[in-house]
Amino acid sequence: MKKVATKLENISKEFFDGKSWRTVLKEINFEVYTGEFTIIAGPSGSGKTTLLTIMGLILSPTRGNILINSKKVSGFTENELATLRMKKFGFVFQHADLIPALNVIENILIPSSIQGGTASRQKKDKAQELLEEFGLSDYINAMPQQLSAGQRQRVAIARAMVNDPVLLFCDEPTSALDVESSKIVLDTLKTLSRDETKEAQR
Amino acid sequence: MRRLVAIKILLHDRSTTAGAVLGVVAIIFLVGQQLTIFFGLLSFMSALVDHSGADVWISSKNTENINASGSLPIRYVDRIMGLSQVENADPIISTAGLVKRKDGKFQPVQVVGLARPNLTGGPWRFQEGDIDVLLDYEGVTVDQLDLKVFGEPESDDILELGNKRIRIAGFTRNIRGFGGTLIFTNLNKAREISNFSADRCSNILVRFKTGMNNSENLTRLKKILPLAEVLTTDDFSRQTRLYYLKNTGIGTSFGFSTIIGVLVGIVIITLTMYTNILNRQKDFAVLRALGARKKDIIIIVFYQAIFIALLGIFIGLLLLSFFLSGTRDSRLPSYMFSWVPPVHALATIILCIIGSLLAMRRATKIEPASAFR
Repeated sequence: MKKVATKLENISKEFFDGKSWRTVLKEINFEVYTGEFTIIAGPSGSGKTTLLTIMGLILSPTRGNILINSKKVSGFTENELATLRMKKFGFVFQHADLIPALNVIENILIPSSIQGGTASRQKKDKAQELLEEFGLSDYINAMPQQLSAGQRQRVAIARAMVNDPVLLFCDEPTSALDVESSKIVLDTLKTLSRDETKEAQR
Repeated sequence: MRRLVAIKILLHDRSTTAGAVLGVVAIIFLVGQQLTIFFGLLSFMSALVDHSGADVWISSKNTENINASGSLPIRYVDRIMGLSQVENADPIISTAGLVKRKDGKFQPVQVVGLARPNLTGGPWRFQEGDIDVLLDYEGVTVDQLDLKVFGEPESDDILELGNKRIRIAGFTRNIRGFGGTLIFTNLNKAREISNFSADRCSNILVRFKTGMNNSENLTRLKKILPLAEVLTTDDFSRQTRLYYLKNTGIGTSFGFSTIIGVLVGIVIITLTMYTNILNRQKDFAVLRALGARKKDIIIIVFYQAIFIALLGIFIGLLLLSFFLSGTRDSRLPSYMFSWVPPVHALATIILCIIGSLLAMRRATKIEPASAFR
């Protein structure tokens, strides 16, 4: 039986636009199971990214509860949420958003050591394995500017996967790519989704 | 990883980093150079006192500095020598004079006449000759830095000082007073040049026998010389410097330019580091989204401030050392106490951290959600 990885209970989000409060999400109830490949679709401005950031514990909902592995996170401090994000979640952004000053391997190791210390040997090996898996082993010391858009997005996926996340959040990961690169990235995500421990979303 | 991220971002954004480093270099060099000249002037002010080798300086009552000593009865020397604790007491004459240069023009100088045979209070660094050249009645020493103003005289050349004949008997090395050119001669020649009568002198320099309690001896001297100013060498030196600092505006002037240097540096550091954060907003948002806490972001910016500070301090101190070595043998006052560079560097690191506070504040305000925009 599949386990609930995250559960949203009556989630609402309101933003103040300078004049009045605008409701972006209204009483959303939603569950994601381990091993699921979930796509959130909707017109522009419908709140997809807001929902994703709330699920990713980046934005706090105005009302409602989020449960991770059946545990409420509403009482968590900002630091606890950051640590939870780092350990349990992976994020792939629309434009890869690698840190341009860091090379490929350093970018991938960010989630494993951004809270201090250096990445363990195990994490470094894992990063290299991911690069090999994604056909990027020759680019381990390359700078992001030396990579194509598709390669950058695959590095971003490797970065998201380095901590073996419970949930992998992808925000329109192919929207900035050409057809060929999109296909490679989607194939990578599909491969990952076959592994029952992760979910790719949106 | 935080240190790596901090330094790699700085190295990546070379132009903004260079701007911030320039701010630190400005603080180190501008302030350091001001301090060098300031300490140089301070050392000029009290050079005669500091290098006299005396334990106590006796001056006329209410004397505030070495260059405004008035005159003392020379019989005080006998009174002082009457104390068993005194090794020697030597009068000196300090007076202004005019040297007739080779081109016929006049050069104002400060003349210091020393009592033979001890020549206490005499020159302490020589380029050519030694202090004994002043035992000769007409012998004077001039400083190598002043040779140009005297028309490049050579050893044994005869010049006129206060319409009296003098002979260049030796050359001192980098000895200058606050009033500029210093000429040392013996007491008799100085008296001949000036208006000092045979029974008067400017100051009396006292040296105690070794192993004597100086504070007790000072009290004894004050007791037997109630109408004179009796000060230890250190006190007279401090008093002389304080007099010039208070009465010439040098302290205010240098203090003001030092503050300007510090402010300019802080503004440059603050603006460049803040700009750096603005340019890297997306990167910091990504770091936050990937798990960096506000504390981690502050540490990254802190490391950047320290890196900028250390690099700027290194370059600044290097430039300052060039400045010091370039001015060592020049007429420009320049002196640096050995404790100043480390204190200056530490203060600059603190200033850099202060300068980075705005950048830290901005960086922690960046919302991790903006990584998705």
